[in-house]
Formats: sequence, C-alpha cells, structure tokens
Amino acid sequence: MSTKRIGAILIQEFYITKRSLEVIMDLFFTSLMTVIVFGFVSRFLVGVLNAHTGSYLILGMLLWEVIRINQYSLSVGSLWNIWSRNLSNLFIAPLTMTEYIAAHMLSGLLKTLIIFSMISAIAAAGFQFDILRLGALNLALFFTNLTLFSWSLGLVLLGVIFLVGTRIQALAWGLVFLFQPLTAAFYPVGVLPPAVQQIAYALPPTYVFEAARQALATGEVNWTYAAIAFGENLVYFGLALQAFTLMFARARNTGQFARNEG
Amino acid sequence: MNASAGMLLEVHDLVKDFGRVRAVDGISFAIPRGKIVGLLGPNGAGKTTTIHMLLGITGLTSGRITYFGMEFARHRQECLQRINYASSFNTLQGRISVWENLLVFSNLYAIRNAGARIRKLAEYFEIGALLQRRYWDLSAGQKTRVNLIKALLNDPELILMDEPTASLDPDIADKTLLLIEEARRTSAVSILYTSHDMEEVNRICDEVIFLDRGRIVAQDTPLGLTKRIRDAHLKLTFDGDLQTVEAFLVERRQAHTFPHPYAVSIDTTEKMIPELIFGISERGIWITDIEVKKPTLEDVFLRIARGKDHVN
Repeated sequence: MSTKRIGAILIQEFYITKRSLEVIMDLFFTSLMTVIVFGFVSRFLVGVLNAHTGSYLILGMLLWEVIRINQYSLSVGSLWNIWSRNLSNLFIAPLTMTEYIAAHMLSGLLKTLIIFSMISAIAAAGFQFDILRLGALNLALFFTNLTLFSWSLGLVLLGVIFLVGTRIQALAWGLVFLFQPLTAAFYPVGVLPPAVQQIAYALPPTYVFEAARQALATGEVNWTYAAIAFGENLVYFGLALQAFTLMFARARNTGQFARNEG
Repeated sequence: MNASAGMLLEVHDLVKDFGRVRAVDGISFAIPRGKIVGLLGPNGAGKTTTIHMLLGITGLTSGRITYFGMEFARHRQECLQRINYASSFNTLQGRISVWENLLVFSNLYAIRNAGARIRKLAEYFEIGALLQRRYWDLSAGQKTRVNLIKALLNDPELILMDEPTASLDPDIADKTLLLIEEARRTSAVSILYTSHDMEEVNRICDEVIFLDRGRIVAQDTPLGLTKRIRDAHLKLTFDGDLQTVEAFLVERRQAHTFPHPYAVSIDTTEKMIPELIFGISERGIWITDIEVKKPTLEDVFLRIARGKDHVN
C-alpha cells in the first residue's frame, strides 16, 4: 500500500467536496438542518414528556449521521468519478483497489468527524444536549461500531455499482435509510414488533443505539452490547469485503467495470 | 519474441469471452521501443476490449500480457507506473480544475516536482493559461490536450491511445497529431494507437494491425498493407469514339462507367493498367489524360469491414 496514492485520492476527495454543491448540501447542509429540526422537536418533547425521551431523538440523530456520512462518502465518492468518466483513469495509474477503498474510508471518516463535531457543537450550544455526557469511551466505542457498519454497507453498495452500473446509483444514498427504523435509532428496540426485533438484533447499530440511550441515563459502558456489536461488525465487514472482491472481479470479467463510464 | 529483443509490450494468445460471445480470439502481437503501432478494425472488432485488457480494467479469459518482460498479472503496479493511456472516451474529473486533476495524477504516479512537471507540459501543449479552469469548462480540443498531458505526466515508455482524436474538428485533430508526433520525437515513446481515421493512421503509424471479429486479419506497414490490394481504379479522358472504348472494355470484362462522353472510369487491377491504356490507344483513341487511383489504407479497412478479408 502506498500512502502517496492514498493521499492522491484524499486530495481528489477534498477538491471534489470543496467544488460540489451537491456534496455540501447532502452532507453539511442536511446534517445542519436535521440537527436543528431534531433539536427543536427534542426541546418540545422534553417540555411535554421527560428529559430522556426528548434527548433520545437528538442522540439518535447525531449517531445516525455517523452511519449516513461514512456510507455516503464510500459509495457516492466513486460515483463522482464514474459520472466524470474518470474512474478507469484512476485504475490505469498504479492505484490498487485496496488503496482506493482505504482512501475513501479515510475520507468518509474525516468528513464524519468534522460534521459530527459541528452538529454536536450545535446540539450543545443551541439545544442543551451535550453528547460528551455519554463519556469519551462510550463515544469512541459507538463511533467505531457505527463506522464499521457503514463501511460494510458502503462496500457492498460500491460493489453493486461496479457490477451493474449507475442504473442503481440511487441506492448509494438511499438504501441506508432502510436501516434507520430497523436499528431503532430513535426509540427503544422494544417498541418494534417481535419479529422485527429479531432482525434489529442482527444489526450492530441496534446495540449502539440501545447502549447510547442507557449511557445517557447512567453514563456506564455496556460492554456486552459493545462486544456483540463489534463481533457482528467483524462478521459483516468480512462478508462485505468478500462480496466486494467477488463483485469487482465479476465486473472486470464482464467488462462492466470498464463500461462504468457515464 | 522476448523482452531482450526490445519489445515493450508482448501479447500472447489473448482471448476474451463475454458470455458466449468471443470478443477477442487468440491475438498475439508485440510493440517494439519507439514505434507507433495502429490497432484498426471495424466497430466490434475487439480493439477497445483489447486495450481494456492491456490496461487491466477488463479481465482476460486466457492469454498472457507482458510489459518490459514482466508478467502484467503479477507486476501490475510496476507495469502501470511505466505506461499511460489517453482516450477521447475517458475524461478527467469535471468538477475540479485542470491543475487539481493533474496534481492528483502526479501523486498517483509519485512524480517528484509535480508542479514543475505540470507547468512544463502545460507550456508545451500551450494550455498554461487554462490550468486554473474547471475541466468541464474546456473545449473538446483543450480537453484532449489535458488528457495528453495526463498521459505524459509519468514520462511513459508506452502510451495506449484509444481514438484520441475522435469527435475533434479536423484542425484540432491535426494539431493533436502534431503534438503526438512531437512527443514521439522528443521522448521516443512507443504508442499503441486505435483510430477509425485511416489518413491519420497512415500518417503516424509505423505498423498496423487489423482486427476483425476478434482476430488479427492483417499486420504490416501501412504501405505494405495497401500493396496487398491488387485492385486499382483507372480514369481515362479521351478524344474518340465512345462505342469503340466500350467494346474494348466489354471484351476484356472490365467493369466501367462513363461519367461523361469523353471519360471512362475502370475498376481493374494494377497489372491490367498498361494493357488497357495501350489497347485503347491501338484502337485509334487519343488518350488525353490518365489518372490512376491506388488503393489506400481505407480500402484495406473497407474490405475487412465488409467481410472481404482476403487482402493478400
């Protein structure tokens, strides 16, 4: 792996982000508006219900953005090059797919850290919700597990884009929302029908959101949930890597990868 | 042939199947240092698929590719570091500036003093003033120049060019060819060049490989290929009796037309030309003008494209 080539993709990501109103709107603006709306809804609910119930919403929203931004960055980042008919140019240079994926993961992580810090600061200053109440360790565990899950999802979506082309590109920014109700981002998992709860517990973010709501009340680390989420993430990440490798190989063999040029 | 014989690229029995369709059918060829080799053929002949396999973005069904004596499959990074690619079908990232695009590729190729290298090439290709412009905002000709700069950034020993002048107007296409010729003179780069424009192939290629339905059907110098076609077109302007000329040509079974009463166009072979001229003269016809049209590379191409692939 060459850090220089990873750096090249990071530089390109920086330039594209800086120059694309779409990226700014999809990531920065959407996050900003969402935190404001959820902030006001939380403030309202705190007034009519109790402090914790109102906080669940803004907590879920802040953590959900970790998944959304990471996954968006990994999947949609490649679409910018496909739309510009520049993707194969990158792989005609001595760039490996591992370096390319690593760069996009890193880029997603950086964007997530920046936006998460920004919206967390707004939540604290504007709506009296301090995410640091969860504790640094909890926050690091949540961040790690949510990031791993979003990378798995992003990898699979990227593989599907390489395999079948841009006709399914809407999945790159839309499919993630399928997991929002399933992982109980804004409510306790107990409110889901029992059959759906089974699915929810098969998804690592469910444990993160549950543990985060507990931590809000107690400040304690739920090591069991952290371990289950991490274990599931390792399995999903391994499967996603394998699926991506197979889809990429298939896309090269069918010629779709070379045809993925607009 | 082997690397020690000075071959930059060697292709052995390359095969590509897309499902049940065989797009490339066991082709073998080599590109020596400093040569421009044309890869020609009608649409669907397998040119672009071959280029994509040579670049590693499409997998092989079977066969072997070696660059600089190294197996491409096992030494992808080392090989790609020493080659490059330019095509009118690929563009650079449209949203960012020319400078930013070239800087990204400079980093991918780990080029030292990237800024100086970009500025030098931009000056050479006369686009220094466009470096800060967004790539999308450039004209087709300007984009082609930027693509060529990208293709020369790493000072490659071999460039694969897939129809680099397609969709350019004749003036810009000519300038692009001049730049390619100049680049070849100054850096002794080898080029594998695909195009549908036979004139430009004739102009810049040292050797031509004709592909048809995935197979190499002819391989020679442009002149050698045209010499393989024995057909010729003879146009005579004459002063005399049209019926006499017609009777003579019918007797010799020569396909002909009379564009006007004092001229005849004859589809014949090179061998027959003296016999026809003398035969007509001997019949009391005064030939005032003789025009012989020799076969061009385009005739070779058309023969292959239309299935008359017996150019020998």
